[in-house]
Amino acid sequence: MVTNFVAIVVNTIILGSIYGLVAIGMTLIYGTLRILDMSQGSMVMVGSFIGWGVLVVAGWSPVLAILAAFAATFMLGVLTQLVSVQPLMKRRNAIDFEMVTFITTFAVAMVLTNVALEVLGPFQRNVTPVISGGVTIHTVNLPYQSLAMAIVSIALMAGLGLFLSRTRWGMAIRAVAQNLDAARLMGVPVGKLYPLTMGLASALAGVAGVFLGGLYFAYPGAGDLPLLEALIVVIFGGLGSLPGTIYAAYAIGLIQATAEQIVGETWSLPILYGVILIVLIVRPYGLLGKPSEARL
Amino acid sequence: MSEPMLQVTGLRAGYLDTTVIRDLSLTVTAGEVAVMIGPNGHGKTTLLRAISGLITPAAGQVLLDGQDVTGWPAERIAAMGLVHVPQGDGLFPEMTVEENLMMGAFPAQSWRERRREVARIYERFPIVAGKAPQRARTLSGGERRLVALGRALMRTSRIMLIDEPSLGLAPVAIDAVYEAIAALKQSGATVVLVEENFTHVGGVADAVHILEAGQIVASGPFAELSVDPTVVQTYLGSLS
Repeated sequence: MVTNFVAIVVNTIILGSIYGLVAIGMTLIYGTLRILDMSQGSMVMVGSFIGWGVLVVAGWSPVLAILAAFAATFMLGVLTQLVSVQPLMKRRNAIDFEMVTFITTFAVAMVLTNVALEVLGPFQRNVTPVISGGVTIHTVNLPYQSLAMAIVSIALMAGLGLFLSRTRWGMAIRAVAQNLDAARLMGVPVGKLYPLTMGLASALAGVAGVFLGGLYFAYPGAGDLPLLEALIVVIFGGLGSLPGTIYAAYAIGLIQATAEQIVGETWSLPILYGVILIVLIVRPYGLLGKPSEARL
Repeated sequence: MSEPMLQVTGLRAGYLDTTVIRDLSLTVTAGEVAVMIGPNGHGKTTLLRAISGLITPAAGQVLLDGQDVTGWPAERIAAMGLVHVPQGDGLFPEMTVEENLMMGAFPAQSWRERRREVARIYERFPIVAGKAPQRARTLSGGERRLVALGRALMRTSRIMLIDEPSLGLAPVAIDAVYEAIAALKQSGATVVLVEENFTHVGGVADAVHILEAGQIVASGPFAELSVDPTVVQTYLGSLS
């Protein structure tokens, strides 16, 4: 009984943290640019390969792997915005902006996946855990890798919160999300801010990739499942709501961890999606979403 | 005669295929409060949006303090010293009053400088100071309008465009808003003010321009136009 409880708490924190880190960038982008960025999964994939490259191929330190993944996916995110979203910005009111960018960012994701396939091959690469070993609490095994992943995820989410509430550019991102015209009238250069926002979001997904690569593998399809999970978390939490996304991430973690303990792994996912189905039928805008869609 | 702060010539502007402003010219000198009066849907808001760069003019020229800013994006014109208080209030609804004010001085790099400006606004608008930690969306219409005006004063401007500050407000709130605008005029600000009628602008207006179907159809000092029966009856329906 105690063991079950400990396992549920531990797994909720670990699952929720990584769901949160993968999904929060998606919310940041949706809240600011009003697009569902389908390239976020590729950023996880690129991050996992960078983890593999730095840790396994080069044999350097985990801190360097995280920093390298952050920097590389930041730049890739900026580039993705400039290539697949920015050219459509001027015509956003004349086209179905959300749907078109859904496809253009998906196109970028396809290109990235296939470049990875061509260059690195269809192999699943083992990524050295960022940190090895583990600790046992009440017979529940907690690998340090999972613990580090949870700590880094929580730190990054808190850091994002501080950035958005306490810094000049973070506040500018919220301003643009809440009232675009007014933000421009304040002198906020939206042409620079949009790529910056997508770069930041992509960097968070990239760091998640380093850890996920250690849990699973680095391979060209490594971003597919995280992308789907991120979509589910942001919709469950309410599109565009940062607090909603974090609640949703831990709620999903809790349901999954509880179901695993009570009915076993086979049925945990069907139960999770059953709960999501019921919640969305009752609250179609998600936990914290509003009919008008939340803006950060 | 002082230099024109704002000079608009042959301006044409609108949305997609609709032209709203046609061949409009307007000169506002430094320190002047120019009031644009006209019925709804005749282009007052569109004119301000075209001047501040929120929409790109289809033709014509906009000079701000001698600098041609035609076709510039709004954020660049804002950085030149144009402040536009849009219709409604243009606040950031989920931000606190204080954060809204801070955004008003976005171009200023230093936090200390912006904090000092915020303190100055609180001194000037005690009502705003009392609401500092509240989210903007929780304020009343009149409070929001005052916050918007306070935010507009967060940075030094060459010219201020104010779009229907009395719209939808209770009389007592309108008085408070116009007190703030009168103080602005006192301090020597150059202002373009848009209203639907003459009711509230008497205390602040220097020149008045009547806007109809996207064109200026009459201009003159407030004292003359507001009592001219032809102007009042033709363009505004009745004496208000």
